[in-house]
Amino acid sequence: MSGADLTQLDTVLEADVGIVGAGPGGMAAAARLAAAGVRVVVLDEGQRAGGQIYRQLPVGMHNHGVVQEPPSHDDGHNLIQSFEGHAKDGGEIELVRGATVWDAQPGRLWFEHDGVSRLLRCGHIVLAPGAYDRCIPFPGWTLPGVVTAGALQVMVRGFGVVPGKRALVVGSGPLLLPTVTSLLGAGVEVVAALEASSRMRALRAVPAVAFHAARRREAMWYMKQLWRNSVKLQWGWTVFACEGDGRVERAIIGKVDAHGRPRKGTERTIECDVVGAGFGLVPSIEVGMRLGADTHMLPVRGGHCLVVDGEQRTAVATVFAVGETCGIGGAEVASAEGELAAAAILRELRGTTVASAVVSRARAERRAADSMLGAFAPLPGLHDLARPDTIVCRCEDITRLRAQEAAAMHGDSMRAIKIGCRAGMGPCQARICGPSLQAMATGVNACAMDVPVVQVPLKPVSSETILTAPQ
Amino acid sequence: MTETADIVVIGGGIIGSSVVYQLAQLLDPSTRIVLCDRGPIAGATSSSCMGHLMVTPGNAQEYALTKTSVDLWRGLHEQLGGFDYNPTGALYLAESEEDIEMVPVLHQQFLDQGDQAEILDQKQLRDLEPGLAHDIPGALFYAGDGVVLPMLAAGAMLRGAQQRNPNVVVRPNCAVTGFQRDGDRIAAVVTEKSVIQTNTVVNACGVWTPGIGEMLGQPRVPIYPRAGNLAITGHHVSPIRTQLLEISYLRFAHAASDVDPTQTDRDAGGHAVNMQPQTNGGCLIGSTRQFRGMSKQVNRELLKRSLLRAHRYVPGVAQAPIIRSWVGLRPYSIDNHPLIGPWDPVPGFWIAAGHEGLGISMAPITGLLIAQQIAGITPSIDPTPYLPGRFAL
Ligand SMILES: Cc1cc2nc3c(=O)[nH]c(=O)nc-3n(C[C@H](O)[C@H](O)[C@H](O)COP(=O)(O)OP(=O)(O)OC[C@H]3O[C@@H](n4cnc5c(N)ncnc54)[C@H](O)[C@@H]3O)c2cc1C
Ligand SMILES: Cc1cc2nc3c(=O)[nH]c(=O)nc-3n(C[C@H](O)[C@H](O)[C@H](O)COP(=O)(O)OP(=O)(O)OC[C@H]3O[C@@H](n4cnc5c(N)ncnc54)[C@H](O)[C@@H]3O)c2cc1C
Repeated sequence: MSGADLTQLDTVLEADVGIVGAGPGGMAAAARLAAAGVRVVVLDEGQRAGGQIYRQLPVGMHNHGVVQEPPSHDDGHNLIQSFEGHAKDGGEIELVRGATVWDAQPGRLWFEHDGVSRLLRCGHIVLAPGAYDRCIPFPGWTLPGVVTAGALQVMVRGFGVVPGKRALVVGSGPLLLPTVTSLLGAGVEVVAALEASSRMRALRAVPAVAFHAARRREAMWYMKQLWRNSVKLQWGWTVFACEGDGRVERAIIGKVDAHGRPRKGTERTIECDVVGAGFGLVPSIEVGMRLGADTHMLPVRGGHCLVVDGEQRTAVATVFAVGETCGIGGAEVASAEGELAAAAILRELRGTTVASAVVSRARAERRAADSMLGAFAPLPGLHDLARPDTIVCRCEDITRLRAQEAAAMHGDSMRAIKIGCRAGMGPCQARICGPSLQAMATGVNACAMDVPVVQVPLKPVSSETILTAPQ
Repeated sequence: MTETADIVVIGGGIIGSSVVYQLAQLLDPSTRIVLCDRGPIAGATSSSCMGHLMVTPGNAQEYALTKTSVDLWRGLHEQLGGFDYNPTGALYLAESEEDIEMVPVLHQQFLDQGDQAEILDQKQLRDLEPGLAHDIPGALFYAGDGVVLPMLAAGAMLRGAQQRNPNVVVRPNCAVTGFQRDGDRIAAVVTEKSVIQTNTVVNACGVWTPGIGEMLGQPRVPIYPRAGNLAITGHHVSPIRTQLLEISYLRFAHAASDVDPTQTDRDAGGHAVNMQPQTNGGCLIGSTRQFRGMSKQVNRELLKRSLLRAHRYVPGVAQAPIIRSWVGLRPYSIDNHPLIGPWDPVPGFWIAAGHEGLGISMAPITGLLIAQQIAGITPSIDPTPYLPGRFAL
């Protein structure tokens, strides 16, 4: 074989189905397709399969303390096992770890892998790229020691890092609980867990949990963990500010009203060296948008989401989307939708039928998630936490005041704010600040946010990668 | 809603913003000036470009225009600030034989205008710009150029205008949709949000300029979109300190094109690398030229070619993360000169547009020439070559 052929082999992969993301959505789709003998290549930025929730330690690393896992993680382990079973040498699944997808066309996914520019050619594409943490800026949120729930998950579960001794967990929604248990599992004392939603508002989630056996079991398990470790969940409270010399040493916490606005006079100071802030998630939609999928705004599901039909198909016939990219819903939704997408693809490739149970399970999971998450939709008043001099865009060091001035002069759209002060133009391309920026700069609820504009590269890659991209 | 204004400026790019700023300086602060843009202020070409403030010495007329304008930028920086003004100078690089021959020619052109520039040897070159490759055969440094961040500059000029004249109104997201006439003259500008009675209108709509004239029943002025691809690196990775460009840029960018701009499927496009350090330590890499209508799709092949050239001159940039690429549409005028001045067939209708790849550099002088002519003051430089009347037949 000549050298040229070798490089071709190296840089270009072929598969029947290409999958972006090895979280529950991508793994479920891959495992089902592989079981039917379809050749699948899965691309994921991480080093192990699992995605956000079932994040695994790198091979050979072990956890400090005892990792405490909720009952749903049994499903997760089963899924990972079945996935990894097919991903062994000679199996139908090839998992490419540390692969960043930076451009896409129907049938083509370009990715950077170990500094090499590679291309996956495939018939169908399943998108399961998950979500980003929603950041709510407050004074001191950029201090070292203040991290998002997702980043904590990566540190604790992905790298076995113990982030500190005394942690405060703040935010809103079901993610608070796993954040608390992850920290406890790493041997960190959790001094308080603050849920910004009021107990009244959260009660709306009860039916969705109570009538869903798995969720009920899950909730009970978390409550028991909290109780056993004497961690009290405080409803209607949040962090007002973090302070410290060079890193977080204490937090000012207080009560918020029904809209999430801080209530004066309720402040208390609490000593801590880690603050985990999880104000929900925002769907990651850029790969789908680049491929030509439509989007719609669904506040309950975290913002702009990809539009799919009853079988997870996007506006592009060969492109399917599952899990958080279609709206925040949790791991059960992601895996159910992954299976559904796989079944729909199998009908095309193998002529098999899509079992109605697969369809109804995906629908039911999604419905249950929507009604549960309705109780934790982003509270607009939380945007009042940031003061005029609070940084709102970390990449470009832009304060809230500058963003407001930009909106006043250039216009109240997300693009206008960006243009007027550079907020959101940095490496994160507004993935972090975007969802809050427009709301803070204009006083409009976060949910009025403009559809983001996607440009290549979808994630930062070296110019060498762009230059040497195979065709 | 109906309102009145002394002057309406249409288009809030760098040109419209500069026109408003200069009008506010020269006219009485009671003058009501309304700026309308259909999108964000500086949301079109003026935020999809680079910010090289470039002096071109090709002939006395061009030099007068660009030099005066770049000097005005320095003044704006001193008065207003806040737009990352950086007097980097410009480093012209040459590799091919044809390009190397251009180095002494360009040098002489600067001298002929009574200005100065330096031909650099390898050592001088490396002292000036350590990130450069060690085998660049030709280089010329001109100290008079600089860099700005255009969209912040537009905002700064408008804030400056409002400080001097509280009757300056800025309206983003307010498209102009038509006009009302009173015989020959304009009676009002119709926008999405109101009808503005006025007799004086400045059309500063960049590549959309011809369409505004059409609303007045005028023939389309010959301004065509000429696409340029750009890419930007992450922060703190820029291996350069000066504005760098291939000397062939002059040949290829600042001559009237021999491609018919209306044949949008015929132009294979061209490129000459242009690299610009940003205040945050990023590096902007351009730039390409192609006539292909209003499409803003990145042409990956052309972009790749300019990245390749960038690697050739600045090897360190190969590993820098690229965070984004995009396309901007240069307003190319068919004779490669901007249109600045009155449109005689419609009294009170002015045009300030068609600056192709030098609109940022030329914004201050463009605003000043329009404001001086509207105010009846003798213009700072001879406006004749730029009068739009050359296209009013
Ligand atoms: C801290 C935290 C705790 C959570 N706890 C729970 C919980 O207890 N219960 C629950 O139901 N849900 C929980 N979730 C939500 C859960 O993570 C998601 O519901 C679930 O993981 C969604 O699955 P997914 O397949 O859509 O995406 P993910 O699991 O997020 O997987 C997406 C994968 O795609 C990869 N990826 C994304 N973009 C690219 C790209 N361009 N190139 C290559 N790879 C890419 C990512 O690296 C990631 O591995 C939690 C989330 C977080 C952040
Ligand atoms: C890739 C690239 C690199 C460049 N690099 C440089 C450089 O380094 N140095 C330099 O000097 N120049 C450079 N330029 C050129 C410069 O960007 C342009 O010449 C300049 O921005 C044009 O400004 P403008 O105000 O005429 O147009 P624009 O910025 O496009 O402004 C026109 C405005 O009119 C508005 N408009 C349109 N229709 C209507 C309507 N009906 N009603 C209301 N408003 C309307 C638009 O929304 C727009 O905001 C570059 C250009 C490109 C594309």
